[in-house]
Amino acid sequence: MSKPRVAIFDFACCEGCQLQIVNLEEEILDLLGVVDVVEWREAMSEQSEAYDIAIIEGSITRPEDEERIKDIRSKASILIALGACASIGGVNKLKNNFDLNDVKKCVYGDAADMPHLETAMTKAVDEVVKVDFKIQGCPVEHDELTYVLRSLLIGKTPEIPDYPVCVECKAKGNICRWEYSEQCLGPITRAGCGARCPSANNRCFGCRGYVDNPNVDAAKDVFEKYGLTVEDLKSRMVLFGSKQGPTL
Amino acid sequence: MSIKKISKEELSQLVSTLIASGDRVEGVQAKDDKFAFGPLTSADDLRLDYDVTLLSPRKYVLPPVESLMTFEVGGRYQSEYDTEKLTLIGVHPYDMIALNQIDQVFSQDEVDNHYTTRRKNMTLIACDVVTPSENVFASSMGTATVSEGYDILLTDIGDAYVADAPTEKGQALLCNAADATAEDLAKRQAVQERNQSDLNRHPLNCKIEDLPQLLEKAYDHPVWEEKAASCFSCGSCNQVCPTCYCFNVQDDVSWDLKSGTRSRAWDGCLLENFANVAGDHNFRKKRNDRFRHRLYRKGKYVPEKLGIGTACVGCGRCITACVPGIANPVDIYNTLLNDIKL
Ligand code: SF4
Ligand code: SF4
Ligand code: SF4
Ligand code: SF4
Ligand code: SF4
Repeated sequence: MSKPRVAIFDFACCEGCQLQIVNLEEEILDLLGVVDVVEWREAMSEQSEAYDIAIIEGSITRPEDEERIKDIRSKASILIALGACASIGGVNKLKNNFDLNDVKKCVYGDAADMPHLETAMTKAVDEVVKVDFKIQGCPVEHDELTYVLRSLLIGKTPEIPDYPVCVECKAKGNICRWEYSEQCLGPITRAGCGARCPSANNRCFGCRGYVDNPNVDAAKDVFEKYGLTVEDLKSRMVLFGSKQGPTL
Repeated sequence: MSIKKISKEELSQLVSTLIASGDRVEGVQAKDDKFAFGPLTSADDLRLDYDVTLLSPRKYVLPPVESLMTFEVGGRYQSEYDTEKLTLIGVHPYDMIALNQIDQVFSQDEVDNHYTTRRKNMTLIACDVVTPSENVFASSMGTATVSEGYDILLTDIGDAYVADAPTEKGQALLCNAADATAEDLAKRQAVQERNQSDLNRHPLNCKIEDLPQLLEKAYDHPVWEEKAASCFSCGSCNQVCPTCYCFNVQDDVSWDLKSGTRSRAWDGCLLENFANVAGDHNFRKKRNDRFRHRLYRKGKYVPEKLGIGTACVGCGRCITACVPGIANPVDIYNTLLNDIKL
């Protein structure tokens, strides 16, 4: 049986999630033992016309990106969104909170009007084409990435957590950041990172996106209970939650 | 064997000897401004004056994640058992009663050998409460003191511990200890009587035997909807509970795509997909259905199934763990009692 062909593409992002693939170290050889990587700009020069699995990193921020992702989709049997940028729009969605002309001026100054700097509202990949699986995180977790790939290779649907970070945080026996009045977004954020931030005594800032059905009203109640305002909650959610699913 | 007495110094020596033996010894220690069970490397770290631990000792009988078996896809499988010897020191009475309950669950009907094997290799040293925690209500639940399940029960009587060892394992550890005097036993009784009334930050306004009957009439009460409106479905109330025992089973294969591991991890009935079954059918889809379910488990379903008083042992951990502050079982039962005639 021939090995499944995998192609990796990047859009607007920091390439940190691809770096996580590179960082698999010995495991990358295991991976290459079971798949054929047919296109990967960061690591090789070949391009391919067909692939079984397309892995997409980054968000869609220009009209020409929309055409490119549609073309990729048409050639792939399975399309995976890799990381926060691809899955939820990520940090790139911050710009959707502002006027695009202001954003361009702020970033590029006098050069803002150059034609190649044309930009559009940031979209997650699934706002443009159908996404089969999302691997969350900024950046993604090694273990989740490899588990999803192995599951797909044996024809099994990977189980991606739809429960909040609190589950993993509690299992680790952490002290809840809310006990120190820190505004942790764990209760509405999708697990899978092993509660990285609370385990290091920091609040969760929501890099894995929301669970499917986050109770944002409850979050408002909690912020009020702690003498905070809805504006405070918004400011906590803006980094990864801008124009993502439920907004306040 | 008669009830013994050991000085604090002698207990410390006993713990040091256990640690020096190389066997696994875990006990209650400070963790920042809280307490937690963890590996003991020095007898000095043991804190039997603690109020409550972050997680209950359930994590020792049912670890957050454990491997159940290894397998070859389409081929043979091999069950895995944890046979490591473990001495656990500092289990409070309410947690001991919770462990007794889970023991019952995993050894009835289809016996869970993974659980029972691990449990057989454990030596449990319990201790009566010295410092009540901020949310404990064990006195209301009849769980402030305990009379079975442990190998040794220690009661702090000031300058020493009264040590009761009903099992051979426990007696072997206390073979050099002197007998407790009538005066020591009177002091122990005073501690236990005090705990039976004073571990009660949230008094329940009925007897625990009344809870099943109360809940029988409470299914459509507005309290479920009201409270669940601010529920995150985060499952923290399940995760910290000493009597929650639900788990989820998952398989993973290695890179040869043939050999794999089946493991189980803690699950919780508050989580959105807990009741999701084949065909993507979720039979407790609504937040308030899940919220209500936990309180029914603690007050009615489990007590009726196991023939015990209550499946909430009043440790108060869910009260502390719930960020929106809605998980307090007593709060809810008392609200129902205001509206429903028993
Ligand atoms: S998800 Fe994070 S790490 Fe990955 S590309 Fe985007 S910004 Fe970088
Ligand atoms: S620290 Fe955050 S993730 Fe952990 S339990 Fe508290 S709210 Fe949840
Ligand atoms: S704890 Fe929150 S912010 Fe930190 S890695 Fe996990 S999801 Fe991201
Ligand atoms: S329901 Fe709450 S108070 Fe009762 S045993 Fe569980 S965690 Fe403790
Ligand atoms: S801890 Fe509170 S918010 Fe979380 S599931 Fe339990 S009741 Fe709901």
